[in-house]
Amino acid sequence: MSAGLVILVVIAIATAGFFIGRSRSLSAVNGNIRQLHSLPGYYGQTVFLAAAVPALLVAFGWLLLQPILVESQITNMIAPSDIAEGSSRGLVMADVRRIATGLDVAIATGALTEDQLGALSADQSDVRALLGSVGVALASEVKESVLVASKTYREMTATLRSAMAIIVILLSLGGAVFSLSRIKPDFRARNVSETAVKALLILSSTVAILTTIGIIASLLFETAHFFRLYPAKDFLFSLTWNPQFTGGSDLGILPLLWGTLYVSFVALVFAVPIGLLVAIYLSEYATRKVRSIVKPAIEILAGIPTIVYGLFALITVGPLLRDYFAQPLGLGTSSSSVMTAGIVMGIMLIPFVSSLSDDVINAVPQAMRDGSYGLGATQSETVKQVILPAALPGIVGAVLLAASRAIGETMIVVMGAGAAAKLDLNPFEAMTTITVKIVSQLTGDTEFASPETLVAFALGLSLFVVTLGLNVLALYIVRKYREQYE
Amino acid sequence: MYDAPNLGATVEQKDIKISAKKVQVYYGETHAIKDVDIEVQDKTVTAFIGPSGCGKSTFLRCLNRMNDTIDICRVEGDILLDGEDIYDKRVDPVQLRAKVGMVFQKPNPFPKSIYDNVAYGPRIHGLAKNKAELDEIVEKALRRGAIWNEVKDRLDAPGTGLSGGQQQRLCIARAVATEPEVLLMDEPCSALDPIATAQVEELIDELRSRYSVVIVTHSMQQAARVSQKTAFFHLGHLVEYDDTANIFTNPKDERTESYITGRIG
Repeated sequence: MSAGLVILVVIAIATAGFFIGRSRSLSAVNGNIRQLHSLPGYYGQTVFLAAAVPALLVAFGWLLLQPILVESQITNMIAPSDIAEGSSRGLVMADVRRIATGLDVAIATGALTEDQLGALSADQSDVRALLGSVGVALASEVKESVLVASKTYREMTATLRSAMAIIVILLSLGGAVFSLSRIKPDFRARNVSETAVKALLILSSTVAILTTIGIIASLLFETAHFFRLYPAKDFLFSLTWNPQFTGGSDLGILPLLWGTLYVSFVALVFAVPIGLLVAIYLSEYATRKVRSIVKPAIEILAGIPTIVYGLFALITVGPLLRDYFAQPLGLGTSSSSVMTAGIVMGIMLIPFVSSLSDDVINAVPQAMRDGSYGLGATQSETVKQVILPAALPGIVGAVLLAASRAIGETMIVVMGAGAAAKLDLNPFEAMTTITVKIVSQLTGDTEFASPETLVAFALGLSLFVVTLGLNVLALYIVRKYREQYE
Repeated sequence: MYDAPNLGATVEQKDIKISAKKVQVYYGETHAIKDVDIEVQDKTVTAFIGPSGCGKSTFLRCLNRMNDTIDICRVEGDILLDGEDIYDKRVDPVQLRAKVGMVFQKPNPFPKSIYDNVAYGPRIHGLAKNKAELDEIVEKALRRGAIWNEVKDRLDAPGTGLSGGQQQRLCIARAVATEPEVLLMDEPCSALDPIATAQVEELIDELRSRYSVVIVTHSMQQAARVSQKTAFFHLGHLVEYDDTANIFTNPKDERTESYITGRIG
């Protein structure tokens, strides 16, 4: 019985339990709902939950643990001598799993019967050809010990699967019967299902938190691995970035960090004033009609994929800046430059800043505006001296969130700023950022063993630390000043 | 039932500060104010009373063109301040509001320090040449707002940190700091406790010596206590306008009598 089918059966039992539970609660009071503690549906729900939740939890746990258990048994069956030169136990185990699946397929398609399988021996017949004929390709000839291991693997898996099916279905039935027996008029079914809802909510929030923790853990783990191969001091303080896949590379983060901060800075210098002025216009000056057209139009910018912005940088902004600014001023001849990427990224961030600031400005109470107008202030005085100070924490938050986006941006930088890691002040010079280098270190056929690839994780962690710091700062500022006008 | 109206207060004939003729106000299709004629005297407290939704706040907001900030609002008729039409095209509503200050129903201090709250008006109107002069204006305004003693040691503290009654007095101080000629108050005590209300009422009485004060109130006791003239609004009409003493003791219109005795409202 496959795992999917087991789950379906459990859900069927639970659903049937729901209806039985509902009618049982009704018949317990002879159809007089007012004598029940909860509505009949809640009684049905308690049966559903009791039938489904423990059974499904056991099923998932089983599915997770079963391969681990089986492999620990099988691994011992393979003698170290059977492991080929340059191979490893892990690879052999992968073969075992593959052969086991192949045998399943062979039996399912009729190329092999159970009896034939029992008698099958790698020394006498060509297992590789047999499995190849049913569509499971193997890399090498099958050794006898591996075939035996595969057969055992297959048998153990099948046995455990059936055991799981039986246990899970029994558990489901047991849960249903137990909760059906609990249905009495004064049973607090509603409270039980409220608790279940709460548990579901907690579970969902845990998923998000655990994912974050998982990401950090994997970054930390690989970074630690990297620092064992490459000195942390050089990574943090070296001024050159020059990875050599033949060894002896310089992997200093500073040029990349500089590029990241420089491009982000240009982007913010461009995006923040424009975005803020847009927000002020939209929330304070624009008539309703203008607002209803302009606001969605600006937000279209936010919907453009960054690769399209990258193209815009590559074929329009880059050559334009080179021909009309960089070359006449004698500042460089490259169309890829910090300026190009920064301006295009700034355009991308305008809707981000304007939309968030607009919300914040709109949240400033009308009483503030009235108070200011009532004292004879003009509209711009009101905006400058009352609205902006009151909205400042939110605006700072918006800017910092935009900064986080800018720091994490990749595509625009690849296409707009180039890939040369340099420490330079000239904004018309090609530079590159952390994100771009992470991509270039990890693309292609790579093995996660050399410092040249592992450096990507250290770079990722640094980036994470920077953006996390900015987000924490944004949260702190927003929280500190939030209640100012309330 | 009510506090005794200040019958003894002599109402001498004073200059007319604001004169409104045939004022109509529309909110979109709704005709909110109908044919209101009124003459507000200088150095007098004038109370607008009437049931909720009768248009008294709307009319008050016409007097300094605060209704301009509401898109759908339209005002017709003439409102003259010192004989000049405030809805004339040549009049800048911003300058008008510097002359006709306003205090709102809910205290609305800016999220700034107490000092900056009061200095806001003088700064934007350039009333002080230097810091010393500004300090003086702020102190004078806070004294007139009867809050100086409570805040003089913490002028740098945020205005929003004060209690409700203190905030409202701060808002009054903020309004008087720009030296307006008329002070409009839209239910200034409705969010305050009785003690704070008494303080603000006392303050209103003092302000009378320098300004023309127009106060909208739901409390007839308050109108009787603080005002010399009272106007009764009902369903957008100005029903009766007379000396406060007359309105409360000898109303001419049946509706006024019904309202002050609590039969309509």
